[in-house]
Amino acid sequence: MCGFALSQHRNNRGTHFAVVVFALLSSFSAQAQKFIGTRLEYLPEEYNMDLLEVEMVAESEDWVSFEQLVPNLGMGSGVEWIRLTLDPMTENGKLIEIQNAGIDDLTCFMVCDGKIIASYPSGIMNTNDKKHQFGTYPSFPVPLVECSKLHALFRMQSNKPMIIPLRITGPRKVLEDAHQRDVLFALYAGVMLVMLLYNLFLFLSVGDRSYLEYVLFIFAVGGAQLALNGYGFVIGAERWPWLNLRLIHLFGVFSGLTTILFVQNFLRLSRYVPWLHKLLNGYFLLYLIALVLALIGRLELSYQLINFCAAASLFCIPGAIITIRKGYSPAKYFLLAFTVFIFAVFIFVLKDSGVIPYNAWTFYALPMGSAIEVVVLSLALASRINQLKRESVQAREEQLRVSQLNEQIVREQNSVLEERVTKRTAALESANSIMQNTLNDLQSAQQQLIQSEKLASIGQLTAGIAHELNNPINFVASSAQSLRRDFEDLSQIIDKMKEIDPSTPNLHEEMAKLKEIFRNLDIEFTQREIEELLNGIEDGTKRTSEIVKGLRIFSRMDGDNFTMAQINELIESTLIVLRSNLKDYAVVESDMGADLPMLSCQPGRLNQVFMNIITNASQSMEESGLAVEERKVRISSRKVDSIGQSWIEVRVKDQGVGMSEAVKAQIFDPFFTTKAVGEGTGLGLSIVMGILRDHNAEVEVETEEGVGTEFIIRFPL
Amino acid sequence: MINILYLDDELHNLTAFRAAFRRDFHVHVTTEPTEAVRILREQPIEVIISDQKMPTLSGVEFFELIMPDFPDPVRMLLTGHADIDAVIDAINKGQIYKYIAKPWNESVLRSMVNEASMLFHERKAVSDQGEVLLHRMQEARAMALRIQRATDQASSLDANQVAEINKQASEINRLLAD
Repeated sequence: MCGFALSQHRNNRGTHFAVVVFALLSSFSAQAQKFIGTRLEYLPEEYNMDLLEVEMVAESEDWVSFEQLVPNLGMGSGVEWIRLTLDPMTENGKLIEIQNAGIDDLTCFMVCDGKIIASYPSGIMNTNDKKHQFGTYPSFPVPLVECSKLHALFRMQSNKPMIIPLRITGPRKVLEDAHQRDVLFALYAGVMLVMLLYNLFLFLSVGDRSYLEYVLFIFAVGGAQLALNGYGFVIGAERWPWLNLRLIHLFGVFSGLTTILFVQNFLRLSRYVPWLHKLLNGYFLLYLIALVLALIGRLELSYQLINFCAAASLFCIPGAIITIRKGYSPAKYFLLAFTVFIFAVFIFVLKDSGVIPYNAWTFYALPMGSAIEVVVLSLALASRINQLKRESVQAREEQLRVSQLNEQIVREQNSVLEERVTKRTAALESANSIMQNTLNDLQSAQQQLIQSEKLASIGQLTAGIAHELNNPINFVASSAQSLRRDFEDLSQIIDKMKEIDPSTPNLHEEMAKLKEIFRNLDIEFTQREIEELLNGIEDGTKRTSEIVKGLRIFSRMDGDNFTMAQINELIESTLIVLRSNLKDYAVVESDMGADLPMLSCQPGRLNQVFMNIITNASQSMEESGLAVEERKVRISSRKVDSIGQSWIEVRVKDQGVGMSEAVKAQIFDPFFTTKAVGEGTGLGLSIVMGILRDHNAEVEVETEEGVGTEFIIRFPL
Repeated sequence: MINILYLDDELHNLTAFRAAFRRDFHVHVTTEPTEAVRILREQPIEVIISDQKMPTLSGVEFFELIMPDFPDPVRMLLTGHADIDAVIDAINKGQIYKYIAKPWNESVLRSMVNEASMLFHERKAVSDQGEVLLHRMQEARAMALRIQRATDQASSLDANQVAEINKQASEINRLLAD
């Protein structure tokens, strides 16, 4: 038997192995066993077997002959008796051999003419006294005595089937056969051991769990055969009678459990045949029960249960077929292996029950079947590994294919997406340009609105400014005329004085005349008046130029250009421009901070802001019930420094009607106005907000209904 | 000389006005409405000129204020063109005679003052005559009463008495002819 290396030639090897075993067995069957069951006799059932004494039954007339060549006494706790009548002339010196190593307690009594002349204890229970035994089977020498009647009486008891393949033959023959049996079993053990170690090695290198299960399976099956064939002593079982008595049970349970585990895993039953998987789980439980029964000493029941559970193997055949149908090819080997094994089990069982004859073929059916099974299963495992390899290659290929497919899909989708993106981008761009146009339109509309709002307010202002200019122009012009007249008066005097000759003798008279003219013209009053008129003219001129300057500052149309400007100057120019308009509404009190830094701003637009807020403040008090001189608008400016930041703060506070929260929330909305229709555009504060936003300025509005409103504007520096 | 009162919150206007018209008129000026009322009480003012736009009260309001006590002086309002609504209102209520736009034209203003003064005097003459007429009417009524009484007596009179009555009647006629 060379090693069962996994290769492409495994089928050939399998065949080769079968041929060798067949040849070996044929050599046994050639020397056909001659079992002499028909010479054996048993006692009818009315005897109470347990209480019988050898002497009582040896000469009994009730013995009945067996009909089979290999009788089967069944099993149980009861004692069985068998009698063999020997021919003292021809058979003395020969050996009686019972080829069954599984009988628990077996004693052979040699009875010569009613007297016991020898007794040989044997069987599994009597391990200490087997020196008379040749080989693994109980054998008993026929004594060399002269008797008229020589009987061999066997008292036996076993928890396993008491099958009695009994023969009488020469010791040499027994030894030869024992030897051959040892060889054959060694061969079997060798096969099992090789398979075991080989698969153990495979398990260690491959790491597949099914190899470990297979190793255990081989161990269990081999052990069961070991026990069945009486080779328990090989593993030293004789030293522990308790164990020895249960060896077959334990190995039977163990092989059943490992078989179930192996089959479940190998055939992937949970995936392919779930019902069988569950069924085998049930059997697994039964095996465990059998194990428990064996351990607590219910050996007969345990054995029957184990035998019952052996039917589980039958289900493996349909299981394997279903699995093959589902495309799992390693199951073919499995099917073959199990078919062989079950066939062997059948033969074994049929042999035990006496249906088929007890011969070398039937005798060795079980170890042979199990050896073949083990070998074929090994091939099955190899096939499984290959299958797994193939599957993993297939899976990799499938993965590759799928990933390539995915890649292709992704590529296709990418191009579709790109196309979409391009289209969408184009659409967006066109939408964007439309929106840009709209935005431009809106911006220009807004610009126009702002401009028209500004023009409207300038229009309102013009009247006020005209009036404001009216006064100074009025008194300047009038004063100039009056001055001319006063000057004429003075000229009159000067002319008169020119006429006076200092050398004239009547100087005194002339002076008196001059004095008379002085008095007539009230020259002192005229002098005073001239001074007053000049003051008026100066003042008027100054005021006019102030107004003009204010107007110039106010109406600076800087547009969007940021320039440095003094914020107080802007506020004051606004106040100048607004002065006459404000006069009807309120008194302005201003508290301008000194030394404010210049602010980068759009002065023209900021004027619009101040004008708007100051006008609102002054008009807010119209309905307050206060006299005009009591309605105060307080304007202040100051520089505020905080950590890391400083700003210019402008506050405009009135004592007007104030605003509700609802109104306050809307004041910066375009077209929102609290004024009557036609009086305000509602754009003022929204424009103010826009301008302040352009200046990054913060606006805070503090207001209380009936108390007043304060606008706080903070320009960051 | 015509007595003029000019009320304006702008001191320079007062100065300029006085300088312009002191040679022609007797000019009274003040910035304070209360002072103006005092002047009205003390001086025989014929023409009042007031600025419309003043901080404490407007010109029209001032005129309304003094109307009950001083109905006679001719009132003129000095104003910029912005207050045209107030002016219209004031004219319609008969409170002012003329309105003068700023800046004033001196000669126009002068002639206006003269006209106003004339108006004042005409009104005054008319009202004086009215008073005379009223007086005469009362006298005539008294006379008529006496005649009535005389007539009643006459119905029971003799020739001497009739001659006496005729004498009295001719006397009455003479009186009436005056």
